[in-house]
Amino acid sequence: MTRFLARKLGGIVATMLAVSLIVFFALELNVDDVVVHVLGPYSAPDQRAAWLTEHGYDRPFVLRYLAWLWHFMQGDWGMSTYYREPVLTLLAGNLYKTCLLASSALLVMIPIALTLGVIAGIRQGSWADRIVSVLSVFTTSIPDFASAVFLSAIFVFWLKLLPGASTMTSGFSVEQMVLPVMVLSLFGIGYLARMTRSSMIEVMGAHYIRTARMKGASTLRIVLRHALRNALIAPVTVIMLYIPWLLSNVIVVEVFFAYKGFGTLLYTASLNSDVFVIEACAMVSVLVVAGTQVLSDLAYSWLNPRISFNSNGGAA
Amino acid sequence: MSDLKSLDGKDVHSAVPALCDQVKAGEINRRQFLRTVSLLGVTAASARGFLSAIGAGGAALASGTVLADETPKQGGTLRFACAIQEITDPALISWVEASNLLRNSLEFLTYVDSDNVTHPYLAESWKPSDDLKDWHFVLRKDVTWSNGKKFDVDDVMFNFERWTDPESKSPNRTTFQDILHFERVNDHEFILRLGRPLLAIPEMLYAFTCAIVQKDFDLDGSNWAKNPVGTGPFKLTSYAVSKEALFTRREGYWGIPAHLDGLHYIDMGTDVSTHLAALQADQVDVLYRVTVAELDLVKKLPAAQLLSGKSTQTIVMRMQNDQKPFDDIRIRQAVVLCANNQQMLDIAYRGMGTLGENHHVSPIHPEYFALPKQPRDVAKAKALLAEAGYPDGIDLELVVGNTQGKYEQDTAQILQQNCAEAGIRLKLNVMPAAQYWPIWDKAPFSLTFWSHRPLGVMTQELAYRSGVEWNESHFSNKEYDAALDKAMSIVDPKERSKAMADVERILQEHYVMVQPFFGDSFTAVSKKVRNYRLHPSDYFRMDGVWLDA
Repeated sequence: MTRFLARKLGGIVATMLAVSLIVFFALELNVDDVVVHVLGPYSAPDQRAAWLTEHGYDRPFVLRYLAWLWHFMQGDWGMSTYYREPVLTLLAGNLYKTCLLASSALLVMIPIALTLGVIAGIRQGSWADRIVSVLSVFTTSIPDFASAVFLSAIFVFWLKLLPGASTMTSGFSVEQMVLPVMVLSLFGIGYLARMTRSSMIEVMGAHYIRTARMKGASTLRIVLRHALRNALIAPVTVIMLYIPWLLSNVIVVEVFFAYKGFGTLLYTASLNSDVFVIEACAMVSVLVVAGTQVLSDLAYSWLNPRISFNSNGGAA
Repeated sequence: MSDLKSLDGKDVHSAVPALCDQVKAGEINRRQFLRTVSLLGVTAASARGFLSAIGAGGAALASGTVLADETPKQGGTLRFACAIQEITDPALISWVEASNLLRNSLEFLTYVDSDNVTHPYLAESWKPSDDLKDWHFVLRKDVTWSNGKKFDVDDVMFNFERWTDPESKSPNRTTFQDILHFERVNDHEFILRLGRPLLAIPEMLYAFTCAIVQKDFDLDGSNWAKNPVGTGPFKLTSYAVSKEALFTRREGYWGIPAHLDGLHYIDMGTDVSTHLAALQADQVDVLYRVTVAELDLVKKLPAAQLLSGKSTQTIVMRMQNDQKPFDDIRIRQAVVLCANNQQMLDIAYRGMGTLGENHHVSPIHPEYFALPKQPRDVAKAKALLAEAGYPDGIDLELVVGNTQGKYEQDTAQILQQNCAEAGIRLKLNVMPAAQYWPIWDKAPFSLTFWSHRPLGVMTQELAYRSGVEWNESHFSNKEYDAALDKAMSIVDPKERSKAMADVERILQEHYVMVQPFFGDSFTAVSKKVRNYRLHPSDYFRMDGVWLDA
């Protein structure tokens, strides 16, 4: 277990280093771009030269990268050129809001999708199965930029039930969370329900389930005690893949509803070439992607003890 | 009419009696009269007095207003959806949105209303010399800064000095380059001595970069958002770029206190449909702007009222006269001959505007001169291209930033189709607004939005005079500069219009740009909002606005 974690951690660090080098290369190779972004297009040439020397931009690329890395590891992530705030505080605040949004979406999505998937899976071919399947195909086929428009057309403009923007400027508001969470979970529910359904069908056909049935166990007991744990392996993979997917898809949803989270931050930073914020956001994304991978490995081993931490192949 | 006195008993400028005669004879209209005499230092009240004395009185001029006869209600916080941009030095801001935030706390020497009539503001009165070269300004004496200090002529002098400093990065440096000398008369009076006659000085002082800051501004770090000292009716209490800004009413304001307790500016991103959703759900009260694309939606919203007004805001597709291949006038002429301005107005702006004539002076400008119409001529464009060495057509690239909305790109696409008929293969390089603004004056061929200016000559001064800071087309022509000088020095609107004929003609003849139309401006506000005026320049003052909650 410890060896496994150490190996995984090493992997994360290596990935982060590689990504940081690529991002730094892409954003800071041309020092003239950096200084224009920091001081603005109307800055004078001598002002720019002074800034570059003062901030060590006259050094070779490798040295600059190492210095940046050193500062980054110490938590000195620089100042945002657009928001004029320290990147660390900016990112922490916005990331917190996105965590709130993403975890709400997961909390809504997982129970609904698993229930629907299990119901459909244990009664393959029934009317319940057909309804779930049709709904799943329908929701997964609508991209979130479209469902955001549809849902706000229905709930804001037509029914006038929900607020149309989620800026949360007067404090946290549950009402303002509803639409973004709905858009984010809609896509996931359909996909996850389908995965759960097919996984459930497969498990329900297994020999040990037939044995349990012959011993006279009730359907509820069979599902909960015997089938669910094995049937969950595939859905857990989907959930774990869904987390990094969330991180990139919150951009569409957050920008559409003017929700001030990680997505809006990255979007605005990219539009305004806010180099230091983009670098920090990239690092956070790598951490989330790699972290969810470790989490999913841990979850597998809990669901299926036959998967060993030490095996080199297989699911680990 | 030579014995005219203004309401405070002072003599008026020597050009005023002649203007009175003209309006009486019907040669100029009331609006032209009011606008011109207001520049000459006659207050709007005095001017209306003159008009009724000569029997030309009439109804008020206000347009684009949420009219309300009720007594204003005090209190409440108004929520305004608007981009919250970084603010450090008010003289350096390049966005009208940022200036609207400043406007609540910082004030100007003059105030130009939504009818383009100039009123006293921090300057109580002004009077130009007969040759329009010396301008005598008198400041209000009862103004205090929010930090308790008295406002006086030294504050104003400080602003003029930093604007016109050779090192200044502000567009004010070239705007006011004709000021030879700032003469301090006493604590509340000064004289501007100019190198050439300039009628528009009082109007120019309401440009969004001309907010008056305190004389300690640079000593305190030159950062207004951090140190928001102002003379205005509100004070800034919190500020976060791209998020929100809060203002509260200030005690001890010299003017009529504002009706609202506070103002809450909220950044909702760039998508206007989100802003409309927020307006519909009662999350905001005023939207900064809506574009043609959202008009139908606004009309369907029960909670919203649509405001619209004539404006001289426009988009200019200008070609840099010294860049290949546009250094060849035949290429520029071919592009202009292909352009179907009426089609661009009808399709891209749904016909809601005024047709442009490729010289950036609008028929609604007071000094506009109607030149003969220039018909489209694709055959001639083809011939010109062949003559210039491109018998098989030419490849051109137009940079578009969609800074005001998708209609910019729609317009460019129509030009693309127009040009294709003559074999000009126009490639559109579309980029986000934030990427466009840093290069707006650099690309050889690009589409730039120009905001409304009350006088046609003001944009001409800013954009087409040889060598000025914002001359994005690199147009440089002595004959043109002289014609513009002449137009700037004439008081009489009729005479000035005649002088403008040369200015417009020279620009047209040099095929500097395709300037298809001047678009009307639109916004949407909640039904609770009262006395909010749509200003053609999008300069919004919030002190008279109130909420009927």
